[in-house]
Amino acid sequence: MLASLLFGIYRQRVLGLLLLNPERSYYVREIARLTNTAAGTLHKELARLAAAGLLVRESVGNQVRYSANRDCPVFGELASILRKTSGLVDVLAEALSPVENQIILAFVFGSLARGEQESGSDVDVMLVGGIGFADAVRVLHPVQATLQREINPVVYSPDEFHRRNTNGDSFIREVIAKPKLFIVGNENELGKLIQDQTASAA
Amino acid sequence: MSLENLFKTKQLQPHNPSREAVLRLLQAAARNIADARIEEVSLDTRFDAAYKAIMQCAMVALWANRYRTSTSQPGHHQTAIQTLPLTIGIEQSTVIVLDALRKQRNLSDYEGDPISEQALVECIKQATQLYKVVKSWIATNRPDLK
Repeated sequence: MLASLLFGIYRQRVLGLLLLNPERSYYVREIARLTNTAAGTLHKELARLAAAGLLVRESVGNQVRYSANRDCPVFGELASILRKTSGLVDVLAEALSPVENQIILAFVFGSLARGEQESGSDVDVMLVGGIGFADAVRVLHPVQATLQREINPVVYSPDEFHRRNTNGDSFIREVIAKPKLFIVGNENELGKLIQDQTASAA
Repeated sequence: MSLENLFKTKQLQPHNPSREAVLRLLQAAARNIADARIEEVSLDTRFDAAYKAIMQCAMVALWANRYRTSTSQPGHHQTAIQTLPLTIGIEQSTVIVLDALRKQRNLSDYEGDPISEQALVECIKQATQLYKVVKSWIATNRPDLK
Protein backbone atom coordinates (compact mmCIF):
# COMPACT_ATOMS: atom_id res chain seq x y z
CA MET A 1 0.00 0.00 0.00
CA LEU A 2 2.81 2.39 0.92
CA ALA A 3 4.63 1.58 -2.28
CA SER A 4 1.59 2.36 -4.43
CA LEU A 5 1.43 5.77 -2.78
CA LEU A 6 5.02 6.45 -3.77
CA PHE A 7 5.26 4.76 -7.17
CA GLY A 8 2.99 3.76 -10.05
CA ILE A 9 2.33 0.07 -10.45
CA TYR A 10 4.87 -0.44 -13.28
CA ARG A 11 7.56 1.43 -11.39
CA GLN A 12 6.92 -0.61 -8.24
CA ARG A 13 7.19 -3.89 -10.07
CA VAL A 14 10.22 -2.96 -12.14
CA LEU A 15 12.15 -1.48 -9.25
CA GLY A 16 11.14 -4.36 -6.98
CA LEU A 17 12.55 -6.90 -9.41
CA LEU A 18 15.71 -5.05 -10.41
CA LEU A 19 16.71 -3.42 -7.13
CA LEU A 20 16.19 -6.58 -5.10
CA ASN A 21 18.13 -8.67 -7.63
CA PRO A 22 20.91 -6.13 -8.30
CA GLU A 23 23.44 -8.76 -9.36
CA ARG A 24 21.34 -9.65 -12.40
CA SER A 25 20.51 -7.85 -15.64
CA TYR A 26 17.31 -8.53 -17.58
CA TYR A 27 15.99 -8.20 -21.13
CA VAL A 28 12.90 -6.02 -21.44
CA ARG A 29 10.73 -8.97 -22.47
CA GLU A 30 12.03 -10.90 -19.46
CA ILE A 31 11.09 -8.02 -17.13
CA ALA A 32 7.64 -7.86 -18.74
CA ARG A 33 7.11 -11.57 -18.15
CA LEU A 34 8.41 -11.56 -14.56
CA THR A 35 6.47 -8.47 -13.52
CA ASN A 36 3.35 -9.24 -15.56
CA THR A 37 3.49 -5.93 -17.42
CA ALA A 38 3.30 -4.97 -21.11
CA ALA A 39 6.68 -4.72 -22.85
CA GLY A 40 5.53 -1.73 -24.95
CA THR A 41 4.80 0.51 -21.96
CA LEU A 42 7.76 -0.91 -20.09
CA HIS A 43 10.32 0.42 -22.62
CA LYS A 44 9.44 4.01 -21.80
CA GLU A 45 9.42 3.43 -18.05
CA LEU A 46 12.79 1.67 -18.11
CA ALA A 47 14.35 4.39 -20.28
CA ARG A 48 13.19 7.06 -17.80
CA LEU A 49 14.54 5.16 -14.80
CA ALA A 50 17.86 4.67 -16.61
CA ALA A 51 18.01 8.34 -17.58
CA ALA A 52 17.53 9.25 -13.90
CA GLY A 53 20.44 6.98 -12.98
CA LEU A 54 18.43 4.38 -11.05
CA LEU A 55 19.03 1.70 -13.66
CA VAL A 56 21.90 0.82 -15.97
CA ARG A 57 21.01 0.25 -19.62
CA GLU A 58 23.29 -1.82 -21.85
CA SER A 59 22.91 -2.94 -25.43
CA VAL A 60 23.75 -6.55 -26.17
CA GLY A 61 23.54 -7.11 -29.93
CA ASN A 62 20.17 -5.72 -30.93
CA GLN A 63 18.71 -6.35 -27.48
CA VAL A 64 18.70 -4.07 -24.45
CA ARG A 65 19.35 -5.23 -20.90
CA TYR A 66 18.62 -3.36 -17.70
CA SER A 67 19.99 -3.78 -14.21
CA ALA A 68 19.97 -1.81 -10.95
CA ASN A 69 22.60 0.90 -10.66
CA ARG A 70 24.24 0.18 -7.32
CA ASP A 71 26.25 3.39 -7.60
CA CYS A 72 23.10 5.48 -7.56
CA PRO A 73 23.27 7.58 -4.34
CA VAL A 74 19.81 6.41 -3.17
CA PHE A 75 20.14 2.76 -4.25
CA GLY A 76 20.39 1.47 -0.68
CA GLU A 77 17.45 3.49 0.61
CA LEU A 78 15.20 2.61 -2.33
CA ALA A 79 16.07 -1.09 -2.13
CA SER A 80 15.25 -0.95 1.57
CA ILE A 81 11.83 0.63 0.91
CA LEU A 82 11.08 -2.01 -1.73
CA ARG A 83 12.14 -4.85 0.57
CA LYS A 84 9.71 -3.61 3.20
CA THR A 85 6.88 -3.08 0.71
CA SER A 86 5.91 -4.19 -2.78
CA GLY A 87 9.20 -5.87 -3.70
CA LEU A 88 9.20 -8.51 -0.99
CA VAL A 89 7.08 -8.17 2.16
CA ASP A 90 3.82 -7.36 0.32
CA VAL A 91 4.36 -10.32 -2.01
CA LEU A 92 4.86 -12.68 0.93
CA ALA A 93 1.92 -11.18 2.86
CA GLU A 94 -0.34 -11.74 -0.13
CA ALA A 95 0.86 -15.34 -0.44
CA LEU A 96 0.24 -15.96 3.26
CA SER A 97 -3.20 -14.31 3.33
CA PRO A 98 -5.17 -17.58 2.85
CA VAL A 99 -3.53 -19.04 5.99
CA GLU A 100 -3.18 -15.82 7.98
CA ASN A 101 -5.50 -17.07 10.74
CA GLN A 102 -2.97 -19.84 11.44
CA ILE A 103 -0.05 -17.43 11.82
CA ILE A 104 0.75 -15.27 14.86
CA LEU A 105 4.04 -13.96 13.58
CA ALA A 106 5.82 -14.07 10.22
CA PHE A 107 8.99 -12.31 9.18
CA VAL A 108 11.88 -12.46 6.75
CA PHE A 109 15.25 -13.04 8.39
CA GLY A 110 18.72 -13.82 7.10
CA SER A 111 20.68 -12.10 4.35
CA LEU A 112 17.67 -10.53 2.61
CA ALA A 113 16.44 -8.93 5.83
CA ARG A 114 19.94 -7.53 6.34
CA GLY A 115 20.14 -6.31 2.73
CA GLU A 116 23.21 -8.50 2.23
CA GLN A 117 21.72 -11.03 -0.20
CA GLU A 118 23.71 -12.54 -3.04
CA SER A 119 22.41 -13.97 -6.30
CA GLY A 120 21.80 -17.44 -4.87
CA SER A 121 20.45 -16.33 -1.48
CA ASP A 122 17.14 -17.86 -0.39
CA VAL A 123 14.36 -15.84 1.19
CA ASP A 124 14.33 -17.13 4.79
CA VAL A 125 10.82 -16.85 6.21
CA MET A 126 10.04 -17.56 9.87
CA LEU A 127 6.45 -18.56 10.57
CA VAL A 128 5.15 -18.96 14.12
CA GLY A 129 1.64 -20.31 14.68
CA GLY A 130 -0.54 -23.33 14.15
CA ILE A 131 0.34 -23.70 10.47
CA GLY A 132 1.95 -26.95 9.34
CA PHE A 133 5.18 -27.22 7.37
CA ALA A 134 3.55 -28.55 4.18
CA ASP A 135 0.93 -25.79 4.07
CA ALA A 136 3.63 -23.16 4.55
CA VAL A 137 5.66 -24.64 1.69
CA ARG A 138 2.64 -24.86 -0.61
CA VAL A 139 1.40 -21.29 -0.11
CA LEU A 140 4.86 -19.77 -0.50
CA HIS A 141 6.02 -21.90 -3.43
CA PRO A 142 4.21 -19.97 -6.21
CA VAL A 143 5.83 -16.61 -5.33
CA GLN A 144 9.35 -17.96 -5.80
CA ALA A 145 8.91 -17.12 -9.50
CA THR A 146 7.86 -13.55 -8.68
CA LEU A 147 10.77 -13.02 -6.30
CA GLN A 148 13.25 -14.88 -8.49
CA ARG A 149 14.52 -16.61 -5.38
CA GLU A 150 13.87 -19.83 -3.52
CA ILE A 151 11.90 -19.45 -0.31
CA ASN A 152 12.99 -21.33 2.78
CA PRO A 153 10.12 -21.48 5.28
CA VAL A 154 10.98 -22.21 8.92
CA VAL A 155 7.88 -23.18 10.87
CA TYR A 156 7.54 -23.20 14.66
CA SER A 157 4.58 -23.54 17.00
CA PRO A 158 4.41 -20.65 19.54
CA ASP A 159 5.29 -23.13 22.27
CA GLU A 160 8.39 -24.50 20.55
CA PHE A 161 9.56 -21.01 19.55
CA HIS A 162 9.29 -19.88 23.15
CA ARG A 163 10.90 -23.03 24.54
CA ARG A 164 13.89 -22.85 22.19
CA ASN A 165 14.50 -19.22 23.05
CA THR A 166 14.29 -19.96 26.78
CA ASN A 167 16.69 -22.88 26.41
CA GLY A 168 19.22 -20.67 24.63
CA ASP A 169 18.89 -22.22 21.15
CA SER A 170 21.51 -20.23 19.23
CA PHE A 171 19.56 -20.29 15.96
CA ILE A 172 16.40 -18.77 17.47
CA ARG A 173 18.41 -16.30 19.58
CA GLU A 174 20.28 -15.10 16.50
CA VAL A 175 17.05 -14.79 14.49
CA ILE A 176 15.51 -12.72 17.30
CA ALA A 177 18.56 -10.48 17.65
CA LYS A 178 19.22 -9.80 13.95
CA PRO A 179 17.31 -7.63 11.46
CA LYS A 180 13.85 -8.77 10.42
CA LEU A 181 11.21 -7.65 7.96
CA PHE A 182 7.82 -8.28 9.56
CA ILE A 183 5.11 -9.77 7.34
CA VAL A 184 2.51 -10.69 9.99
CA GLY A 185 2.73 -9.06 13.43
CA ASN A 186 5.61 -6.88 14.65
CA GLU A 187 8.15 -6.44 17.46
CA ASN A 188 5.25 -6.30 19.94
CA GLU A 189 3.93 -9.74 18.96
CA LEU A 190 7.46 -11.08 19.06
CA GLY A 191 7.95 -9.67 22.58
CA LYS A 192 4.58 -11.01 23.74
CA LEU A 193 5.28 -14.42 22.27
CA ILE A 194 8.38 -14.70 24.40
CA GLN A 195 7.15 -12.93 27.56
CA ASP A 196 3.56 -14.19 27.87
CA GLN A 197 4.66 -17.75 27.80
CA THR A 198 7.52 -17.08 30.16
CA ALA A 199 4.90 -15.77 32.61
CA SER A 200 2.57 -18.70 32.15
CA ALA A 201 5.46 -21.16 32.47
CA ALA A 202 6.62 -19.54 35.72
CA MET B 1 11.39 -33.77 -18.63
CA SER B 2 11.32 -37.50 -19.16
CA LEU B 3 13.39 -40.31 -17.69
CA GLU B 4 14.95 -40.85 -21.15
CA ASN B 5 16.06 -37.21 -21.30
CA LEU B 6 17.61 -37.44 -17.85
CA PHE B 7 19.43 -40.55 -19.06
CA LYS B 8 20.72 -38.59 -22.08
CA THR B 9 21.97 -35.78 -19.83
CA LYS B 10 23.69 -38.44 -17.68
CA GLN B 11 21.69 -37.66 -14.54
CA LEU B 12 20.27 -41.17 -14.68
CA GLN B 13 21.94 -44.47 -15.49
CA PRO B 14 20.34 -47.75 -16.54
CA HIS B 15 19.92 -50.12 -13.64
CA ASN B 16 18.21 -53.45 -13.29
CA PRO B 17 18.29 -54.47 -9.65
CA SER B 18 17.37 -57.90 -8.34
CA ARG B 19 14.24 -58.54 -6.32
CA GLU B 20 16.47 -59.02 -3.27
CA ALA B 21 18.17 -55.64 -3.74
CA VAL B 22 14.81 -53.86 -3.93
CA LEU B 23 13.59 -55.69 -0.84
CA ARG B 24 16.79 -54.78 1.03
CA LEU B 25 16.43 -51.06 0.30
CA LEU B 26 12.74 -51.07 1.19
CA GLN B 27 13.51 -52.78 4.49
CA ALA B 28 16.18 -50.17 5.20
CA ALA B 29 13.59 -47.45 4.54
CA ALA B 30 11.18 -49.15 6.96
CA ARG B 31 13.90 -49.26 9.66
CA ASN B 32 14.58 -45.57 9.14
CA ILE B 33 10.89 -44.69 9.44
CA ALA B 34 10.78 -46.65 12.71
CA ASP B 35 13.92 -44.89 13.95
CA ALA B 36 12.40 -41.49 13.11
CA ARG B 37 9.70 -42.21 15.71
CA ILE B 38 12.15 -42.74 18.57
CA GLU B 39 11.52 -39.78 20.86
CA GLU B 40 14.66 -40.19 22.94
CA VAL B 41 16.93 -38.72 20.25
CA SER B 42 17.03 -35.19 18.86
CA LEU B 43 14.54 -33.86 16.31
CA ASP B 44 17.45 -33.41 13.92
CA THR B 45 18.44 -37.08 14.04
CA ARG B 46 14.83 -38.23 13.74
CA PHE B 47 14.40 -35.92 10.75
CA ASP B 48 17.57 -37.32 9.19
CA ALA B 49 16.24 -40.86 9.50
CA ALA B 50 12.88 -39.95 7.96
CA TYR B 51 14.57 -38.04 5.16
CA LYS B 52 16.84 -40.99 4.47
CA ALA B 53 13.73 -43.18 4.12
CA ILE B 54 12.26 -40.71 1.62
CA MET B 55 15.45 -40.87 -0.41
CA GLN B 56 15.54 -44.68 -0.27
CA CYS B 57 11.92 -44.89 -1.46
CA ALA B 58 12.66 -42.45 -4.29
CA MET B 59 15.66 -44.60 -5.28
CA VAL B 60 13.51 -47.76 -5.26
CA ALA B 61 11.00 -45.91 -7.46
CA LEU B 62 13.77 -45.23 -9.99
CA TRP B 63 15.08 -48.81 -9.75
CA ALA B 64 11.61 -50.16 -10.43
CA ASN B 65 11.69 -48.10 -13.64
CA ARG B 66 15.13 -49.60 -14.48
CA TYR B 67 17.14 -46.49 -13.67
CA ARG B 68 19.28 -45.15 -10.88
CA THR B 69 20.76 -41.69 -10.24
CA SER B 70 24.37 -40.97 -11.14
CA THR B 71 25.92 -40.34 -7.76
CA SER B 72 28.86 -38.74 -9.60
CA GLN B 73 26.50 -35.96 -10.74
CA PRO B 74 25.68 -33.08 -8.40
CA GLY B 75 22.11 -32.91 -7.14
CA HIS B 76 21.24 -36.59 -7.26
CA HIS B 77 18.91 -36.21 -4.27
CA GLN B 78 17.06 -33.51 -6.16
CA THR B 79 16.87 -35.72 -9.25
CA ALA B 80 15.45 -38.61 -7.23
CA ILE B 81 12.73 -36.35 -5.78
CA GLN B 82 11.92 -34.52 -9.02
CA THR B 83 11.45 -37.79 -10.92
CA LEU B 84 8.79 -39.16 -8.52
CA PRO B 85 5.87 -38.00 -10.73
CA LEU B 86 7.48 -39.90 -13.63
CA THR B 87 8.45 -43.02 -11.71
CA ILE B 88 5.45 -43.73 -9.49
CA GLY B 89 2.97 -40.93 -10.26
CA ILE B 90 3.50 -38.74 -7.20
CA GLU B 91 1.65 -35.41 -7.44
CA GLN B 92 3.57 -32.18 -8.02
CA SER B 93 2.11 -30.64 -4.84
CA THR B 94 3.79 -33.44 -2.88
CA VAL B 95 7.07 -33.07 -4.76
CA ILE B 96 7.14 -29.40 -3.70
CA VAL B 97 6.98 -30.46 -0.05
CA LEU B 98 9.55 -33.25 -0.47
CA ASP B 99 11.93 -30.81 -2.12
CA ALA B 100 11.46 -28.33 0.73
CA LEU B 101 12.33 -31.14 3.17
CA ARG B 102 15.49 -31.78 1.14
CA LYS B 103 16.47 -28.13 1.56
CA GLN B 104 15.74 -28.28 5.30
CA ARG B 105 18.01 -31.30 5.51
CA ASN B 106 20.84 -29.39 3.79
CA LEU B 107 20.43 -26.46 6.20
CA SER B 108 20.36 -28.85 9.15
CA ASP B 109 23.31 -31.00 8.06
CA TYR B 110 25.63 -28.31 6.75
CA GLU B 111 24.64 -25.13 8.64
CA GLY B 112 23.39 -26.59 11.91
CA ASP B 113 19.96 -24.99 11.62
CA PRO B 114 17.69 -26.90 14.02
CA ILE B 115 14.79 -28.97 12.70
CA SER B 116 11.46 -27.73 14.01
CA GLU B 117 8.76 -30.08 15.34
CA GLN B 118 6.56 -29.10 12.39
CA ALA B 119 9.26 -30.03 9.87
CA LEU B 120 9.83 -33.39 11.59
CA VAL B 121 6.11 -34.22 11.70
CA GLU B 122 5.86 -33.53 7.98
CA CYS B 123 9.00 -35.50 7.14
CA ILE B 124 7.75 -38.63 8.95
CA LYS B 125 4.32 -38.23 7.36
CA GLN B 126 5.81 -37.96 3.86
CA ALA B 127 8.23 -40.87 4.40
CA THR B 128 5.41 -43.13 5.63
CA GLN B 129 3.19 -42.17 2.71
CA LEU B 130 5.93 -42.54 0.08
CA TYR B 131 6.88 -45.97 1.46
CA LYS B 132 3.26 -47.14 1.08
CA VAL B 133 2.92 -45.71 -2.43
CA VAL B 134 6.16 -47.18 -3.76
CA LYS B 135 5.33 -50.62 -2.33
CA SER B 136 1.89 -50.66 -3.86
CA TRP B 137 3.24 -49.32 -7.19
CA ILE B 138 5.70 -52.20 -7.33
CA ALA B 139 3.00 -54.74 -6.45
CA THR B 140 0.93 -53.49 -9.38
CA ASN B 141 3.54 -52.59 -11.96
CA ARG B 142 6.56 -54.75 -11.19
CA PRO B 143 5.19 -57.90 -9.55
CA ASP B 144 8.51 -59.59 -10.44
CA LEU B 145 10.19 -57.35 -7.81
CA LYS B 146 7.58 -57.82 -5.11
